This record gives sequence, structure tokens and C-alpha cells, in this order.
Amino acid sequence: MTSCPRPEDLYLYLEGELGPYDARKLEEHVECCPACRDALAERRLLHEAFTTLPPFEVPEGFTRSVMDSLPEPEGRKAGWLTPLITAMAALAIGLFGFRVFTGQSFFDVLVAVNRFFGSVIAFVTPLAAKTLRLGSVLLKLAGDLLSLGFAGLATLSRLLGPGGVMVVIGLGALLSALAFFGARRFLRQGEQS
Amino acid sequence: MTEDRQLVSRALRGDRKAFEMIVRKYEQPLTSYLGRMTGEREAALDFAQEVFLKAYCSLASYRPDFKFSTWLFKIASNHMIDHWRKKKLPTVSIDQPVDDDEGPLMPQVADPGPSVARKFELAEIREKIERALASIPKALRELFVLRHVNEFSYEEIADIKGLPVGTVKNRVFQAKELLRKKMEGS
Repeated sequence: MTSCPRPEDLYLYLEGELGPYDARKLEEHVECCPACRDALAERRLLHEAFTTLPPFEVPEGFTRSVMDSLPEPEGRKAGWLTPLITAMAALAIGLFGFRVFTGQSFFDVLVAVNRFFGSVIAFVTPLAAKTLRLGSVLLKLAGDLLSLGFAGLATLSRLLGPGGVMVVIGLGALLSALAFFGARRFLRQGEQS
Repeated sequence: MTEDRQLVSRALRGDRKAFEMIVRKYEQPLTSYLGRMTGEREAALDFAQEVFLKAYCSLASYRPDFKFSTWLFKIASNHMIDHWRKKKLPTVSIDQPVDDDEGPLMPQVADPGPSVARKFELAEIREKIERALASIPKALRELFVLRHVNEFSYEEIADIKGLPVGTVKNRVFQAKELLRKKMEGS
């Protein structure tokens, strides 16, 4: 006969937390050990009581009182309203300040603002045109590089044959999977630390 | 679990109805846990309200990789610890061996005394458990309640309390044996 199980194993057995091998061993032992059979029967009754303890009743209206105690969410206003109001207020203060400090009329202020934006647009427009042109050249270059790469791949696949291509694809997939899971693990460790 | 995540996501977008559904779902398990920890129903309800408020205010910090229930109970557990610390109530260190009046708990299957479980019917045993629960150390009581009242797995409890799974299993076992001995003595 095997030795008597530890009491913690009796509880784990009742909770279904004992592995199948240990559970079988315990059952075999209990069949031929009256003391352990009694101990198990007692723990079984206790376990049943432990797992059927009644829940605390929550009074009617508890949810409402919780909800009433919550602060108003900050994100309830429309997202665009606050920046718009801020911008309008800033403009009004700016115009008023300009008038106070320079003594000029609002019409002068509007003319000055118009001139300012005019000069900005005159500066920005050629710059934007140049940027767009540069972008199109870069796109063309990327396209040429891609087609060169595809041509290289086609030549390589002809040289390697179907078997070689499969090996390369397999290795590539393996390396990608390793890099992906490695990065994920690294990030998780970083999050936990 | 996915439902919880969706509710949290909606609540974060300002949908109060979604948070209300969360409250309705967890108010009873949370109150059952806090009730057993405080031993007072009214105090448990107050604490539950505070825990929901804390959860609401820190909802943005909830990470969907984890179960919402474990996150919520972690808040509740910390809330109880803060409460005890403020009231300076004695707490038992998780590393300190738990002794009862008759000395340290020793695993011993063969019990010479009369079987306590057979003395009472199940309902009577439950009543005795409730009374005995109040007298065991909080550190053990909490793990017992999380396991058997809230039905968390050992792994989830380990996550809530930041303890190794083996320690949690051992502490829950100690709680159960201590309860058994207390009931035996009653």
C-alpha cells in the first residue's frame, strides 16, 4: 500500500486540481486505508460547504448609488468644440491686444493679417511644389528598385529550382516567426518589469 | 471576458451605461468578497462603492491582456490593505507561518478526534464556516474567499495578489485546515 496522502492533496483532489496519476494513486490508497477514507469523506463535506457559501445580497438601488457617485466623464464634449472655442477666444484676445497696443483700427489689423498670410503663402507654395517634385522622383526610384528586386528574385528562383525556393521560403517563414515571437516576448518582459 | 473588454472600451468613450453593466455584473461578487473581509454588510457596500469609483477613475490604465475581474479584485484587495493600514489593524505577513492556538499547522491525515464534518448538516456547517472565517488571519481569509466564494482559479488569485501559485495553494489549504480546527473546537 502506498503512503497516506497529505491533507492538502485531499483538498486538491476534491477540487480536481490533482493530476490524473496522483488522483488515481490517491483513490487506490483510500480504498484500502480506512483513516484516509474518513479524512477524505470529512474534507468532501467541508469542501461542499466551502463551495456553496451564499453570496452577500446587494440592495436594490445599489447600482444607482454607485453610478450617481461617479464623476462626469471629461470626454463627453465633442472633440472639436474645445479647440474651436479656444482658437476663437485667442483670436479675439489677439485682435483686442493689437488694437490696445498699436492704436490701429480693426480694419488695419485685418489688412495686416491678410498681408501676413499672403507672404506666408507666397513662401510656402514654391516650397510645397519642390517637395512634391522630390516625392515623385523618390517614388519613381523606389519603383525601379522594386522591379530590379523582382527581376533578381526571378533569376534566383530559376537558379535554385522549385526545391531550393521552398527551402528559402521555409527558412524565411521560420526566421520571421522567431523574430515576431522574440519581439513579443521582449516587449512583454518590458511591460512586466 | 471579451464582453468585459467591450464594456470597458465603451465606458472609456464616455458610455456610462456600459460601466453600469460592469457594476451590475460585479457588485455581488465584490460585495461577497468585501463582506467576508470586513465582516460587516454595510461596510462592505461602502467599500464596494469606493472600489467601483476607483476602478472608474483608473479605467484608462486597465490593460485588455488581463482579465477584467482580476484587475477589479486587485483594486479591491489593495483598497482593503489601505483600509487596514489606516486603521492600523493587525495584519499577518504572508511569509510568517500561521499558527493556531495548538501550535503550527502540521499536515496530518489521521485525526484521532471525532469527525467534525459529520456532526453537522451542510447548512449548519456553512454557518459555522462564516463564524470561523472572521477569526482566521486576514491574509488566509482573503485567499480562501477569493478561491471558494469568488471561484477564482489559483493562477488568477496569484495574479491578483502577486504571489506564486504554490504559495496561494498552500495558504488556501492552511485556511481550510484552520477553519476545520476552529469548527472542531466550537
